Amino acid sequence: MIGQAAIDQSKWYAKVDPISKLLLIAGFTLASFVISQPLLELPLLAATALLIMFSRKTKGLWAMTAFSLFLIMTMLLIQGLFWPGNHTLALKAGILLFYQEGLTHALLLGCRILVIIFSTCFFIETTTISENAKYLEAAGLSYKQVYVLMSVCYILPEMKQNLQKIQLAQRARGIVPAKSVWSRVEMIVPVLVPLIIKTFQMAINRSISLQLRGYDSPERRKPELKQEYWLGHKTHLALSLICLFLIGGKAWLLVK
Amino acid sequence: MEKKNSLQNVWKFKLSAATVTLIPAAVGINYVAKAFAEGLKLPLWLGSLGTFLASMLAGPIAGAISGFINNIIYGLTLSPISTVYALTSIGIGIAVGILHARGWFASAKKVLPAAIIIALVSAIISTPLNVIFWGGQTGIAWGDALFASMIAKHVSIWIASFVDEFVLDLLDKVVVAYLAFLIYKQMPKRMIYFFKGNEN
Repeated sequence: MIGQAAIDQSKWYAKVDPISKLLLIAGFTLASFVISQPLLELPLLAATALLIMFSRKTKGLWAMTAFSLFLIMTMLLIQGLFWPGNHTLALKAGILLFYQEGLTHALLLGCRILVIIFSTCFFIETTTISENAKYLEAAGLSYKQVYVLMSVCYILPEMKQNLQKIQLAQRARGIVPAKSVWSRVEMIVPVLVPLIIKTFQMAINRSISLQLRGYDSPERRKPELKQEYWLGHKTHLALSLICLFLIGGKAWLLVK
Repeated sequence: MEKKNSLQNVWKFKLSAATVTLIPAAVGINYVAKAFAEGLKLPLWLGSLGTFLASMLAGPIAGAISGFINNIIYGLTLSPISTVYALTSIGIGIAVGILHARGWFASAKKVLPAAIIIALVSAIISTPLNVIFWGGQTGIAWGDALFASMIAKHVSIWIASFVDEFVLDLLDKVVVAYLAFLIYKQMPKRMIYFFKGNEN
């Protein structure tokens, strides 16, 4: 989404509106929480993986998966060794005893996380900031709220640039990254303080520009949606009903 | 009476031009501070520095919104699971806003107990999320080592997860609270008044 290239509007995924994609994430997430067996999670995992594979937008997928994969590995290790429900020995690696119950529990949690990552990735890789902004405003969100959400996406690259500039300037003055933790903590102040003050100063400038451009004008026109979507409201209704059904199912299972 | 009025004013919130530019700036600060801490390999997150500053400048609701949006954006760019921790960020934003309005950020002495309260709020909200999504772990190696040693001694997952989260939060929030205190003190007065909405 941030720093993302334009989306080809003729592709099938461009015909699915942003709210339907968000409801898809909710549906897949809820379904993965209703299921309590790792094997039964596999069809869900396959469905979300196919969704992202068919869109051929896997650029961000690897970074996101790698980010969580390390945690899933540590989960397998810790839960496999120490989960309170452990009884049945599954494998022995030297002095380490891994138990079936803990490994199954960690696998289930890991599958749920991957389902969430894959379905979210489909949304991220197939929508743009401007499409989201226009769609959210057309769906009834106030333009002030849309502005706050969307301006974040534009501010982040600008701030990263400023951070690099300040770090370069500090290095040029002889402040180099130190080895000890305390010295690294001390590095925070000369870099972050000027960056933050500069960011707030830029926010003040933006705020003044907004006021000058009639930010509070009641005569503001809503942007027109040029993109045509498949069955927008009907899809929302169907997906919302599925989500409600899944919530009901989970509640019933918990009570049972 | 004056103190009571100022506490009532804390909850007043308007999406003014100053606030709509402050919130994205705060989210940006959170994002960059977290990236900076990761770059320096610090045992801290620093990812709530912007939320602290937004709460101190424009009240608990602006802070809560900054924290919420921060997690949504982080979830949509790096780690989708971070989205659920938006609840923790909302709690942090509200806690900082209230404590700041009550004068807990007025001197360096008072900042320490304020940071401990904020760390408690953060750990209480994060623990159930850690248990649901990560089996109680936090993903920080030494915190998770503590968690593993506790559950190996048959301590309840909930208590072990809370201790894991609180220990990490305590260190992070103390550093962030003092940084926010320092930055707030160094800010030009006109900047503070601008975001507080009484620049005139």
